Amino acid sequence: MPPVINKEECIGCGVCAEICPCDVLHMTGEDVPQITYPEECWHCNACVLDCAVQAIKLRVPLPAMMLYLEARE
Amino acid sequence: MIGINNIPVECDVLVVGGGIGGLMAAISAADQGAKVVIAEKSNTKRSGSGSTGNDHFQCYIPEVHGEDMEPILREMNECLTGGYLDQDLTALFLKESFDRVKDWNKWGIDMRPHGTWEFNGHAMPGRPRIFLKYAGANQKSVLTNEALKRGVTIFNKLPIAEVITNTSGEVIGAIGVSIESEKPELKIFRANNVILTTGTTNRLYSPKTGGMMFNLGFCPSCAGNGRAAAYRAGAKLINLDIPNTHAGPKFFNRCGKATWIGVLKDYEGKPIGPFVTKPSKELGDITADIWHGVFGIKNKAGEPVYMDCSETSEEDIQYMLWGLTQEGDTSLLNYMDDEGIDVRKHMVEFSTYEPFLIGRGIEINDKAATNVPGLFAAGDEVGNFRADIAGAATFGWIAGKSAAERAQDIKTFEPAEKSSIVEEKKQFYSELLSREAGTANPSWKEVNIALQQIMTDYAGVEVRSEHLFKAGLKYLKDLKGKAISTMYCQNSHELMRCLEVLDLIQLGELIMLTAQDRKETRGKHNRVDYPFTNPLNNNRFITVQEVEGTAEIKWRDRH
Ligand SMILES: Cc1cc2nc3c(=O)[nH]c(=O)nc-3n(C[C@H](O)[C@H](O)[C@H](O)COP(=O)(O)OP(=O)(O)OC[C@H]3O[C@@H](n4cnc5c(N)ncnc54)[C@H](O)[C@@H]3O)c2cc1C
Ligand code: SF4
Ligand code: SF4
Repeated sequence: MPPVINKEECIGCGVCAEICPCDVLHMTGEDVPQITYPEECWHCNACVLDCAVQAIKLRVPLPAMMLYLEARE
Repeated sequence: MIGINNIPVECDVLVVGGGIGGLMAAISAADQGAKVVIAEKSNTKRSGSGSTGNDHFQCYIPEVHGEDMEPILREMNECLTGGYLDQDLTALFLKESFDRVKDWNKWGIDMRPHGTWEFNGHAMPGRPRIFLKYAGANQKSVLTNEALKRGVTIFNKLPIAEVITNTSGEVIGAIGVSIESEKPELKIFRANNVILTTGTTNRLYSPKTGGMMFNLGFCPSCAGNGRAAAYRAGAKLINLDIPNTHAGPKFFNRCGKATWIGVLKDYEGKPIGPFVTKPSKELGDITADIWHGVFGIKNKAGEPVYMDCSETSEEDIQYMLWGLTQEGDTSLLNYMDDEGIDVRKHMVEFSTYEPFLIGRGIEINDKAATNVPGLFAAGDEVGNFRADIAGAATFGWIAGKSAAERAQDIKTFEPAEKSSIVEEKKQFYSELLSREAGTANPSWKEVNIALQQIMTDYAGVEVRSEHLFKAGLKYLKDLKGKAISTMYCQNSHELMRCLEVLDLIQLGELIMLTAQDRKETRGKHNRVDYPFTNPLNNNRFITVQEVEGTAEIKWRDRH
């Protein structure tokens, strides 16, 4: 479940944990933030936008997948 | 026992919630020379529904719309945010809205990204357009900086749980619960003026995506704390009886449907609404804004409904993608890129989202004041006016100014930390924290899901009736009893969620009580036992206030 942090890229700055509107992430003393409450993610993308080194991506869970068809002629 | 910070924070004006309305309130109160503190549940840089941006700002600009404000007032009443607006507040909003636009533009939120005042979207053919298209992606950082520049103190990760009043019923402070570290800590404010701006109330009804109660259009951290605290402090709530729903992409729930430039169509590609067949940036399809039941009705008739942008010009597609970025919908855009969903050739299914409270909540007057001396409110949590981002900006500003003016007259603080409510809450929160976790007791989540089930079945938008409300009220009472006596939490985060859930139950009860009194069908208040819409009730609002421990329900005319 979102977000997904690339441990190689993350510099442990803590910005994502600081700004998340839903208190999903926490700096728990390790180098990389802990995704404490993944099921409370709003998919707002704030952490993705504010990570200076692009270490976060969201994985949108399947129940939230978008439904689409080919447009009609 | 939960820790308590022994040094109360004193300020002239305490702003609860650092969203759009809260930041504007803080800025305007500070401009008046007041000592201002914001207590924000998460972080003002990214909190609330305005977190990653917005792109439509309702306003009246005389040089665009002409000197006569009347046609714009009419449009306000008939657009998606219309319906339950006090007209004096609406006129005041329109008069002041352009000043707020100019402020934002000056501070660095681009309100004229294409060089002119451009009004596009949320509009009907042949009618004035009242939604200014702006570039709001940076709005939260800009407003946070403006507040800090003026010396406003911001406490992030500090949700407020209660407003404290004295024996005369006047505001003297508030109780906050810090979630800064794993161990919660109470923080007490001494303030004679408190402005509530905690946004929408979400998580009351079962979500469209089973079990995923944070997959919502609006910010899921906005869970009714302001409304519930206001009610407990003696403030009147209004218009809770009429349900409101939003709509957008299915099942990736995000707001911003009017930024899509396309036509709503059925499975075969036939347009659903009467407004447009060839979309343009000036007139996307407004069908879903004003025909609130469209998705439900079509779905029940066996028709899925799609947003089709395949006939939109490439220039307008670019405009739409830019708009969605400013709107804060970059997660949606990234997802569509990753999945190969191309709006030029795919049509995306849309649907209605679960009911929530916006423009249903605290009653205010033209000073943004409630009936409780010293208590003000603005933004999405107000019940007798609504204009979303622009409403939050404009009434936030008015609230800040009014609170600062009142602060000039009252300069002494009462020892709010000594009020009995502080000790009472301290005991209760400690008890929640001391209960056994694991399988022995219910978590906040269990309680929240149980609440959502009851709300959906007994106060939903499909079927409402006297018997459903009566039964529902009984079930909510049972649930509340169990939550109070058995719910547990293990840390500050969970304590915050527990308190949200208790506020949600209280608001659920007030929704049922007021809706029970509206013995007619109106909008999505679908009373199967009173299917008639009674014209005598047109523009009549229902209020509820706690008087000596009971909910007093009254009707009043719109003014
Ligand atoms: C993706 C998206 C796009 C949108 N686009 C538009 C648009 O184009 N035009 C438009 O008019 N509207 C739009 N909206 C709606 C708009 O964002 C809101 O109407 C606006 O943010 C309301 O401001 P507010 O201050 O009332 O609430 P919010 O901005 O939501 O702020 C409420 C704040 O209160 C905080 N809070 C909650 N509880 C507590 C507590 N107990 N203690 C302390 N703080 C608390 C929250 O964390 C939050 O920061 C959009 C919404 C979304 C989600
Ligand atoms: S997407 Fe938003 S809610 Fe989810 S973790 Fe990132 S900042 Fe938090
Ligand atoms: S913002 Fe990016 S770099 Fe900083 S802690 Fe989060 S993931 Fe790591």
